[in-house]
Amino acid sequence: MAEVILTNVRKTYGAVVAVEDLSLSIADHEFVVFVGPSGCGKSTTLRMIAGLEDTTRGTISIGSRVVNGLQPKDRDIAMVFQNYALYQHMSVYDNLAFGLRNRRVPAAQIDAAVRHAARTLSIETLLERRPRQLSGGQQQRVALGRCIVRNPKVFLFDEPLSNLDAQLRGQMRLEIKELRQRVPTTSVFVTHDQVEAMTLGDRIVVMKDGLMQQVGSPLELYRRPVNRFVASFIGSPAMNFFDVHVTAVPMGFRLSADGIDLELPQRRFAGLGAHAGRAVTIGVRPQHLRLGCTQVDQVGLSGQVMVTEQLGDEQVLAVRVGAGDIRVAGIDPELSLPTGTRINVAVPMDNLHLFDAASGVAIR
Amino acid sequence: MSTIEAIQAPRSRYFFEALAPGGRRAFFLLGTVATCLLFAFPVFWLVLTSLRPGYAVYYVHRGSDFTLDNFREVLSQEIVLKALWNSFAIATLATVLSLGVTATSGYMLSRFRGTIPTAWFGAIYVFRCVPYVSWVLPLYFVTRAMGIFDTYWGLLLPHVAVHICFFSWIMKGFFDGIDPSMEYAAMIDGCSRWGAFLRVALPAAVPGLTALAVLCWLYTWNEFLFALILTAQNTPILTVVMAQFVHELGMEWHLMSATAVLALGPALIVTIFGQKYVIRGLKI
Repeated sequence: MAEVILTNVRKTYGAVVAVEDLSLSIADHEFVVFVGPSGCGKSTTLRMIAGLEDTTRGTISIGSRVVNGLQPKDRDIAMVFQNYALYQHMSVYDNLAFGLRNRRVPAAQIDAAVRHAARTLSIETLLERRPRQLSGGQQQRVALGRCIVRNPKVFLFDEPLSNLDAQLRGQMRLEIKELRQRVPTTSVFVTHDQVEAMTLGDRIVVMKDGLMQQVGSPLELYRRPVNRFVASFIGSPAMNFFDVHVTAVPMGFRLSADGIDLELPQRRFAGLGAHAGRAVTIGVRPQHLRLGCTQVDQVGLSGQVMVTEQLGDEQVLAVRVGAGDIRVAGIDPELSLPTGTRINVAVPMDNLHLFDAASGVAIR
Repeated sequence: MSTIEAIQAPRSRYFFEALAPGGRRAFFLLGTVATCLLFAFPVFWLVLTSLRPGYAVYYVHRGSDFTLDNFREVLSQEIVLKALWNSFAIATLATVLSLGVTATSGYMLSRFRGTIPTAWFGAIYVFRCVPYVSWVLPLYFVTRAMGIFDTYWGLLLPHVAVHICFFSWIMKGFFDGIDPSMEYAAMIDGCSRWGAFLRVALPAAVPGLTALAVLCWLYTWNEFLFALILTAQNTPILTVVMAQFVHELGMEWHLMSATAVLALGPALIVTIFGQKYVIRGLKI
């Protein structure tokens, strides 16, 4: 059993707070992804788990043992770095064997483990080469090999795919997923790419400014973001937002702004009651907007097409509604929509997200 | 391409090419040869002087008397042999000692923040700002007071101190160029901080270290001022012994040249062996 438990972890550098009061329990064999913009504290958290940074406060335990005072080498973890961090002066074989040799494992056992790891990652033919003779993808595989060869309690990944080109990144993402099934191990993965987070994680931790914003499964985060930041960070293209003013009307609420006038029923949006007379932010994902007139349980917007982006399997439109632009995705690629065309778009009420305009907290 | 274009194209491209076909190449070749001559000629003259008998050194370019007697004579002097050995020993020991300290000090400057690295950096900076010559006299008194004047230690320690100050910065640059995550990986793979330095960072810095070793050795081998002031009869150093052929009875250019040619040998070997490391090392 190797669960990782962070309790009230805080990290400061002088007056700068990198991580604030983070508590999280990662189950055995769970794959958790930390995601957020750069400087949000996700890498610092990972380095604290690894023991490369001390915690200012709080405890970290791995497999029910508190590891705060332990050296990285005594924590029984393995880590993949953004730039692979392979030992340049050693062959691939020696890179893989390094950790085991340090632990005084018998040579025959090391050889078997190295060859097994190399077979798992299809790098058997590269064992005699030096890291600089390998491509980026191959180097990343060696870095993964260096982790699995030791059979550690926890895998830590620090943005391992960000140095690869888009195509290779997609491929390596699949390989990491596949590796997970073959070598099930508790894993913590740090990335700034929400696609990686969505595709890899059992659970995702969204961070911003050192604070944990939300923890949940990818679908939970996509469907029920707790605040505007999470809503904007998860999903691509990013969610559309517009600020509106709420007024209470019989049986419901009117949300209005320049060019927008929506009416929402009281029974479904009871949470809006406390916001009557104030401003709220509406969030709609581009994928949830449909061309056409409003039907039952939908609300409609109308605007003018500004730009169309042809992606082959769909078009993405930028539509001017009132003073702002919104994006509409999933449009039939054959449809011709010249700039300036006036269109109506509709969105099911279930797909409307409402946030407090000042705090950004979701209104349920 | 039309005929007119074919004629005009080269003229517009390069000035030297316009003077004559292949003019640009010829110009650079001449320039290179001239530069080489500028450096090679003094050496040639030195070797020539060392092969001339004493009476002919002022007319090196005239006459055809050549002799190896100068070499026989200097090699029969015990002080020259002793100086050759001393210079070699001091240069080698200074290189080993100063690289040992420089590697760790450069690593500290590159990887650690805090009071100690800052203070150390400041000390080096101050040392480098003061002209090198101004340290010699105080060092003379210090070595006398410590009782190490005119011994190996009396010359070694000042040399090592100078090298540490000069090379720590360069060494810091080498370590800055080495990705620290390699050491983090080693620490996770079972090394201590020291182990990560010795087994991962240091091997990665070998090209740089070799370059510094070559430069350090040559510098100590050729150094004159410290050797002149901080040594006397007990620890003769080659550069000082060489200068002693100029004395109140005259100047023995032929013997001085012969000694200089002897001194050239080891330096040349180190240079030839080390040049590719120096170039590669300073490139990283």
